[in-house]
Amino acid sequence: MADSDKQSELQQQTRNLIDFILAGEQAQADKLLADWADGNGHRSAICQILEPALEEIGRLWETEKISLAAGYLAGKVAETILQRASQKEEALPITRGPVIIGNIEDDYHSLGRKLVGIFLATAGWKVIDLGNDITPKEFVDAAIFYKATIIGASAMMFTTAQNIKKLRAEIDQRGLNGKIKLAAGGAVFKARPELVAEVGGDGTATNAVDVPALFDRLQKEIVE
Amino acid sequence: MTALQRVMAAIEGKMQARPPFTMTLSLYGARLTSCPLSEYFSNPVRYAAGQEAVLDFCRPDIIFAPFVLTYEAAAFGSELHWPQDCPPNVRKPAVKSAEEFLKLPVPDPDTDKHLLFIRESVRLLAERLKGQTPICGIVTAPVDLPMLVMGIDTWIDTLINRPETARAVLDMTTQYFAAYANALFADGAAFIALPMTFTNPALVYKKLIDEMLLPALNKAFKLIKGPIVFHHGGSRIATFLSDFAALPNVAGFTLDPRDSFADARTKVGTECLLLGNLNGLTLNAGSTEELCKKVTNILADRSTDPHFIFATSGADIPLSTPPERIKAIADLIQAGWVR
Repeated sequence: MADSDKQSELQQQTRNLIDFILAGEQAQADKLLADWADGNGHRSAICQILEPALEEIGRLWETEKISLAAGYLAGKVAETILQRASQKEEALPITRGPVIIGNIEDDYHSLGRKLVGIFLATAGWKVIDLGNDITPKEFVDAAIFYKATIIGASAMMFTTAQNIKKLRAEIDQRGLNGKIKLAAGGAVFKARPELVAEVGGDGTATNAVDVPALFDRLQKEIVE
Repeated sequence: MTALQRVMAAIEGKMQARPPFTMTLSLYGARLTSCPLSEYFSNPVRYAAGQEAVLDFCRPDIIFAPFVLTYEAAAFGSELHWPQDCPPNVRKPAVKSAEEFLKLPVPDPDTDKHLLFIRESVRLLAERLKGQTPICGIVTAPVDLPMLVMGIDTWIDTLINRPETARAVLDMTTQYFAAYANALFADGAAFIALPMTFTNPALVYKKLIDEMLLPALNKAFKLIKGPIVFHHGGSRIATFLSDFAALPNVAGFTLDPRDSFADARTKVGTECLLLGNLNGLTLNAGSTEELCKKVTNILADRSTDPHFIFATSGADIPLSTPPERIKAIADLIQAGWVR
């Protein structure tokens, strides 16, 4: 197949994948990627079809043109093909990280965090997911243990977002300001972006798909 | 003129010197009465005392039943977590799948301890308020309850991939919702407010809303023996209101702070009650003068709208909000504002 034909087919497959996700057709989306992976390898399915589809999904999500459910479905589709690649021993190489993610103390709204973990893994990050209700000490201890330079703390509500201030203080008190970057995310930050600075975050993303780009930026800002 | 008369006038569209107003101060009563939250949200006498303190403090035209939706999740078996400064969250959903959900017993509002706390609080408040100030019950919508009992991801997954199972779940939550909401009306609630999540295209596929969730709400709302206020639930709703306006027993809509009343009016016409839209979570931000300016702007925007109730939007006003901020808003509306 000529390069231009191949490129055209990839674009068409990407378009089809986006359409399936936007229509809520998870089984069709999974099948499209699996079929392509069987003929062309999982790396091609993930890097040449899934990733561009996720970029477009991210753009649509950022401009509030798609729903949380569509974002969730995109995450499930990504998770399925990543697991399939791993089972076929075609897992993508981990090229970045590790990073720590978790819901801040008192917060139990895990959906966003789980999606962030999936999209980071899709982009090649090694992700240590600590789960819900993580104290500032637990976050920073884990970052030191795993030699992680980015912590992603999630909070859904205004009240629990306030607990991220304590994580900021923990990072600073241990002399790690600039060496460990703090990403703050969750529904409340989308509604009130100014809250990121208020709680001491170094950055945020408006949706889970955009988090890998945020982490790339934060990684570049690390003080060696 | 009593608070109830003022609210009724707004529902009927009679122009008043000032609009009725309320602020979501369910939680704040604990601060005004120095009551630990664990007691405030378990002892109806303490809760009612807290709301009486709210009434004495700022004389809102609507008083709230306990704003603790997670008690409904607890009635289904979800495990709760108690933060220091806000009502409990769901720590662990009761079940991990819709199939398990369908095997759960439907909670009985007459025997479940969590629901009885809320009902007894409403009864006590109704006795003390004697019909002078309306009480708003806050209830989880039948389309949203599953996310508190099985987790939001499981509920989304069920809606997308197993529609027949999702319909069975909705039948079950509708049965519970009608029993509980009607019990609150019998206890003395004047209306109920439903913070809505799974009817918003920002959260769920429009196709699912149109084909499954709105029909489920239509069926559920028909069973309710009183007026319903449809609350934005954390997402903008103004542009979607025409989808919801025809639902039975819906008396009005509470807008998101980012919504425009003018946009909402183009969707629901001039006769529908609209509430909002000061962000109750941000009363602490900026100066008191800036806060009063925001309030004044909202009042000015609605100065010719008789079907309007000034209200804070969003979740409960945080405990950390200085009382003088709340008082400033109340004073401005009650004493300083003339249409």
